[in-house]
Amino acid sequence: MSKILGIDLGTAITKSASIVNGEPKALENREGSILTPSIVAQTKGGERVVGILAQRQAITNPKNTVSAVKRFIGRRFSDAEVQKELKLLPYETREKSDGGVEVKMGDKWYNPIEISSMILQKVKADAKDKLGEDVKNVVITCPANFDDSQRKATIAAGEIAGFNVLRVINEPTAAALAYGFGKKDAQKILVYDFGGGTFDVTILDVSPEVVEVLATGGETHLGGNDFDQRIIDWILTEFKKEQGIDLAKDPLALQRLKEAAEKAKTELSSAMETNINLPFITSDADGPKHLEYKISRSQFDSMTNDLITRSIDRVKQTLEEIKMDRGEINEVILVGGTTLIPAARDAVKNFFGKEPNKSINPEEVVAIGAAIEAEILTAKEEGRTPEGDIKSVLLLDVLPLSLGIETLGGVSTPMIMKNTTIPTSGSQVFSTAVDNQSSVEINVLQGERSMASDNRSLGKFVLDGIPPSPRGIPQVEVKFDIDANGILTVTAIDKASNKSQSIKVEGSIGLSKEDIEKMKKDAEINAADDQKKKEMIEAKNIADNLIYQSEKTIKEGGEKVSAELKKEAEDKISELKKVKDGDNIEDIKKRTEELSQAIQKVGAAMYQATQQQPQEPKKEEGPENAPEAETEKE
Amino acid sequence: MKEEKTIEEIEKMLEESEQKKEEYFSGWQREKADFINYKKQEFERLKGTLCIAKESLFEEIIPVLDNFRLAEKAISEEDKNNKSVVGLLMIKKQLEDVVKALGLEEIESIGKAFDPALHEAIEEVEGGEVGIIAEEVEKGYSYNGKILRPSKVKVGK
Repeated sequence: MSKILGIDLGTAITKSASIVNGEPKALENREGSILTPSIVAQTKGGERVVGILAQRQAITNPKNTVSAVKRFIGRRFSDAEVQKELKLLPYETREKSDGGVEVKMGDKWYNPIEISSMILQKVKADAKDKLGEDVKNVVITCPANFDDSQRKATIAAGEIAGFNVLRVINEPTAAALAYGFGKKDAQKILVYDFGGGTFDVTILDVSPEVVEVLATGGETHLGGNDFDQRIIDWILTEFKKEQGIDLAKDPLALQRLKEAAEKAKTELSSAMETNINLPFITSDADGPKHLEYKISRSQFDSMTNDLITRSIDRVKQTLEEIKMDRGEINEVILVGGTTLIPAARDAVKNFFGKEPNKSINPEEVVAIGAAIEAEILTAKEEGRTPEGDIKSVLLLDVLPLSLGIETLGGVSTPMIMKNTTIPTSGSQVFSTAVDNQSSVEINVLQGERSMASDNRSLGKFVLDGIPPSPRGIPQVEVKFDIDANGILTVTAIDKASNKSQSIKVEGSIGLSKEDIEKMKKDAEINAADDQKKKEMIEAKNIADNLIYQSEKTIKEGGEKVSAELKKEAEDKISELKKVKDGDNIEDIKKRTEELSQAIQKVGAAMYQATQQQPQEPKKEEGPENAPEAETEKE
Repeated sequence: MKEEKTIEEIEKMLEESEQKKEEYFSGWQREKADFINYKKQEFERLKGTLCIAKESLFEEIIPVLDNFRLAEKAISEEDKNNKSVVGLLMIKKQLEDVVKALGLEEIESIGKAFDPALHEAIEEVEGGEVGIIAEEVEKGYSYNGKILRPSKVKVGK
């Protein structure tokens, strides 16, 4: 089974995704980021570097640092648009003999296909590092408005990098695939792609057979950077007003401010307010100056409102071009980091009157869709089921509610927790609560509540014939086993006598969805109350046990200690007895602690007495709080 | 005749069962192997998680260190011997020692050859040696071999 890649080969940033453990997942590059800048450079030392490394040396080596070649791939040098873009470039370009574009890096001329292939080679090497094997099959994405020659050039770049390019698909189509749209019925889908530097809107008609692009629109210079700039401009103005210093003239201060603005923007996606603190931002004759501003989400929204309105206007315009009403759009998908801004999400939601699809990280969704497509195509080629689609073949259920048994004081003790995948089993060892107890009742419970009476009883049975012994000594192992069909078998075995008893519960584990939801809700509502009840019972159980152990200690070794100590312990016992059946948990805990200390003194005195008379070794149970139900996990 | 058909049917059923058994058995083996592999991966991931937790801690602390350095630079000569200032600088040193003990390493830059794997060039400056770092604007850090932040530097041209 070969590993695949989906590659979102962007103008500025390239991302890739694969199927990892059955789930599509964006891959990190060697530098630990999912974002690889689409930049290639030949360093002054003659070494070729790609991605963030190329970006870091760009300032010292602008002529040999090539970026944004996607704008020229498969296009003619003489194109008016290409000509316009060429003017902005720091590196040299020329017309190739066949009319295409060539760029210079080092002493050599390269065509944009070769440069793109260098980016893809890095993606390939990084993926090999991450996935542990070489990757051949890939699907690469391109903008919806790429023409045939641009697509062919993209394929060529992939093949030069050593990939087998299964297909080149549109970026918005990949996003729709990531969400699994169009599997059953045809749907009209609008992809709202708000990236770092560009805004694109695409309307798709997606059906099981074909994906058709109905319309595309957008703006080439509208993106997240504009949002950052608004924060920067605001601070520059405020700072100038307050301090009389123009930070825009200080490149270092501006750099710090840029980073802080981007961070603030990101923070405002989750927080309602954030601080921009830049101490020692600059200084003048009066000494150092600090920058400190608070920015609220609503302030940010009003600063950037027009940018979002512009994007929505583009959406309207694109719909108008194909005479489509917004109501005809079945689904809206958000793509690009800028759609993480709550105001952008709200604007889309308000415009369409429905919730847009945003559950997949908008920065990864295109690469993920491409990976899904690559996996489907490769699986078909290899005659297997696509990974990640295995669920349709082998359906493993999970337990909707926890299963447990009733223990001392009516507490529900869970044996198998909810959401455990079945088949599964679990066992615990329990003991008796009173001396010479010859039988135990196993009450099988279902539900999340702390008290047995609040949960549903699936059945009861009795294990008898336990040999007489003091409480806490017998070991009864209770085992729960659920097979793949949801049939529960509960078995109890007395480890001493090997006697066992079991019960089988069929069908009734499966409750209706409504019942399950109701039971879960009840548990949530009553969680605090239940916890109190449980604590109360636990406190009573501990008190009860300590009384038992203390009485036993005094009875067995009382003659070895002074009457005074014995009297104190006995008093504490009767005090605890008085409160233990009441409702005051603090009182019970306090008296328990007092008795515990008194009986420890007795124990210590007994130990000393035994040391003085070594000829009389006597085994002691020890007065410490032996747990009521001894448990031991398998 | 009827008997024969039954045998044929049984044979067919047996064959089908054999096939199914094979399929289920290999599926089970595969699942078992997957699980063992998953556990191994999970163990590795757990180790990785610890690193990531430290990384994100460092990412929050590094800007504080930056500001301490900026503050130190801004102290005037006459204030340098002020006891309170000396005390504050001791706190800076303490913080640096703490992150160092936790594994945070400073990237060397001034006087070294510019290397984009470690440094980010923000300007080229006259005077210095070509390709050699003349000035460090912001300290870079690495942890466990990973560059958390490259040093921001000025390079001689």
